[in-house]
Amino acid sequence: MMSEFDVIVVGGGPAGTSAAIRLAQNKVNVLLVDRADPPGSKNVSGGVLWGNDLGKIIPDWEKIIPVERLITRKGTTFLTKDSAISLDFSSRKFLTNRTGYSVLRVKMDLALAKKAKEEGAMVIGGVTVDSVARKDGKIIGIEQDGDTITSDTVILAEGANPRVAIDSGLRKPIGDRDVAIGVKQIYKIPEDKINERFNLSGNEGFAGEYVLGYLPDGVEAGGFLYTNKNTLSVGVVVSPSHLRNYGQMHSYDIMEEFVQHPSIARLVEGGRLEEYSAHLVVEGGLSSVPKLYGDGYMIAGDAAGFSFSNGLVIQGMNYAIASGIAAADTFIEAKEKGNYTAKALSDYQKKLEESYVLKDLRTFKGIENSTWSSMAHRTIPDILERFLFRLNLEDGLPKKHILELLLRSVSESGHNKTSLALEAYRMMRRM
Amino acid sequence: MTLKIIVMMKQVPDAEEIFIDPVTYTLNRTAARGVINIPDENALEIALQIKDKVGAEVTVISMGPPQAEEAIIECMGRGADRGILITDRAFAAADTYATSLTLAATIDKIGKYDIILAGESTTDSGTGHVGPGVAEFLDIDQVTYAESAEVVDDKIRVKRILEDADEVVEVPFPVLVTVLTGANIPRRATLRRKIDAIKKGIERWDHETLGLPPDWIGIRGSPTIVGAVKVPEEKKRASKKISLEQIPEMIDELFEKGIIKREDGA
Ligand SMILES: Cc1cc2nc3c(=O)[nH]c(=O)nc-3n(C[C@H](O)[C@H](O)[C@H](O)COP(=O)(O)OP(=O)(O)OC[C@H]3O[C@@H](n4cnc5c(N)ncnc54)[C@H](O)[C@@H]3O)c2cc1C
Ligand SMILES: Cc1cc2nc3c(=O)[nH]c(=O)nc-3n(C[C@H](O)[C@H](O)[C@H](O)COP(=O)(O)OP(=O)(O)OC[C@H]3O[C@@H](n4cnc5c(N)ncnc54)[C@H](O)[C@@H]3O)c2cc1C
Repeated sequence: MMSEFDVIVVGGGPAGTSAAIRLAQNKVNVLLVDRADPPGSKNVSGGVLWGNDLGKIIPDWEKIIPVERLITRKGTTFLTKDSAISLDFSSRKFLTNRTGYSVLRVKMDLALAKKAKEEGAMVIGGVTVDSVARKDGKIIGIEQDGDTITSDTVILAEGANPRVAIDSGLRKPIGDRDVAIGVKQIYKIPEDKINERFNLSGNEGFAGEYVLGYLPDGVEAGGFLYTNKNTLSVGVVVSPSHLRNYGQMHSYDIMEEFVQHPSIARLVEGGRLEEYSAHLVVEGGLSSVPKLYGDGYMIAGDAAGFSFSNGLVIQGMNYAIASGIAAADTFIEAKEKGNYTAKALSDYQKKLEESYVLKDLRTFKGIENSTWSSMAHRTIPDILERFLFRLNLEDGLPKKHILELLLRSVSESGHNKTSLALEAYRMMRRM
Repeated sequence: MTLKIIVMMKQVPDAEEIFIDPVTYTLNRTAARGVINIPDENALEIALQIKDKVGAEVTVISMGPPQAEEAIIECMGRGADRGILITDRAFAAADTYATSLTLAATIDKIGKYDIILAGESTTDSGTGHVGPGVAEFLDIDQVTYAESAEVVDDKIRVKRILEDADEVVEVPFPVLVTVLTGANIPRRATLRRKIDAIKKGIERWDHETLGLPPDWIGIRGSPTIVGAVKVPEEKKRASKKISLEQIPEMIDELFEKGIIKREDGA
């Protein structure tokens, strides 16, 4: 029996739209389905897009995707209750060697879905796919509201909470350690004010990552702040097991703690809160990656656990795009032979192994153990604060050498020098 | 003979996403995505309920820009059989008179119909003129403020919600019914139907299809002149915690300040 479509893509985020664009460009009869109408309109906005992979399917992507600002200034900051300790890096080198653009996801996803449609994909929003459809153990399409829609291959690109893949037994349920909770707010602030506050001009942008080293009860969380044209994306990321095991905080309490920290409050001051949302962040590393393909299906993007997070930066869109394109290319090759078995689609895994997607996951195996550690979230900020305060204080006493100040800060913080060095070394190896 | 139902549907900017520009006082709709006007969803749902029960051919008509196609496809995804988009630059800036005339001409062009369903009013302009206007141009009966409707033999039985009573009326075909916001919970589109809708496509009619002279439509056919649009000043509100015993005192205070009045006006 002939299938109605060559490919059905479930999910209109960066993974699904990239796959659909690549497929449609190669005359593949593809259906892209997203829960939101129009597709992508419910996705959490704001983030930094490392978009080089988009160049493979949209040569002039920087014009097609409504990018906000080119990131030319990066900040890494440890926050303690009273202080902010930053490494601030701004460079003209970013103008020629692009790192990333800040984007608003709703606009970006809409543009990608529109592009997929223009290339010839059938794009349908407002419909939630229930499960995959099977026959003789093979996946032959999807089920929606009692109907079976058939396709030679299904690409599951349904994001960080992949219900279809889980309910269809194609991956194990998401565990506490596989995800973190991201809370995000968007503040509207006039463009010139943003430029003034962040020392930017034109479409230059700032992306800052923060360690929140001052939360009660040992809760560990990271924060981020990105500049868009005339809005700021501000958010925190916290591990659900942390919320459960420590104290009484909720993720939105932590969000409040973050925007009220003196050094952040100044930056968002006067901004009108436009959007407030929460979303899962994939953080499980290699161990949470499921089997990526089988007879008639492939899994891409967040649904496959592809992301990189070292506790500060979250990268997921680039892995989503790269894996979506790899899945599309695998199908295009399989179509030539008319074979969509697990064996034919195993090429998907090979492509990912050869690209940075799985290479990165292997390189940073176990990184999640370092990013969520009291070393990163307590010890380092504490010692740095003691040290820098000493260094910058004029208290009428004779001055000391820097190393001596540092060692004194360490011993005052109550940490053992040797075990600290060991732990720091291990952490650096993983990161 | 299959019952023929026409649903009038307007695509409006998502109310959650529009705001009034504090400087120019114009409605800023640029960022807003288009959605189906809410009571029109309820009107469609009533049409589909009738279709489920007694069988009917449901046609959705909408006058609007080309992107209103998506709202029509969504209606077909929910169960409408046919979609017609009345689109033409010549229709731009129509007021409720020209809009009603154009929609009535569309319905005449469709030909045979038994029931026309419309929303009670829109979330973007909200005049509530268009449903009754169309009934007048077509010179047919109309029932307003409907919460539900069913077909009984060759009549429609409509439950109307009025300020002080509910009213049930039966009217023979052809009839136009306007439906209240939130009258029911609209069903969701299915993937199967949306795919079929896209494959089938919608029809696009312009003023020539309708045989309407340019003077009768769009801005030229609109007698309304919009003088000014004003944003009402925000009323200052105050709140005060009082005990039960203080209520009479509070009522006196409200009379004194003229915030509330006696029925005789004193
Ligand atoms: C707070 C936060 C900040 C982040 N910051 C960054 C950043 O700065 N840079 C970066 O690169 N990454 C960032 N990420 C990660 C990034 O958002 C994800 O990695 C990326 O969106 C993954 O893309 P995707 O296409 O796999 O999934 P998604 O973007 O989640 O898309 C999945 C789509 O599938 C749809 N869907 C789900 N289930 C169904 C169903 N059953 N039927 C139909 N449709 C369905 C959803 O509606 C959604 O549109 C951040 C994430 C969060 C939460
Ligand atoms: C700022 C502004 C001021 C305006 N001022 C005036 C004015 O003063 N006088 C005036 O006459 N017009 C005015 N208009 C234009 C007019 O109100 C509408 O845009 C249009 O004529 C439809 O009227 P409505 O939205 O009020 O529909 P309503 O009468 O509220 O709609 C009732 C029902 O009619 C149906 N319907 C309405 N429009 C359509 C359509 N396009 N396609 C299919 N079905 C439809 C739907 O079922 C809807 O639920 C103004 C518009 C704007 C933006």
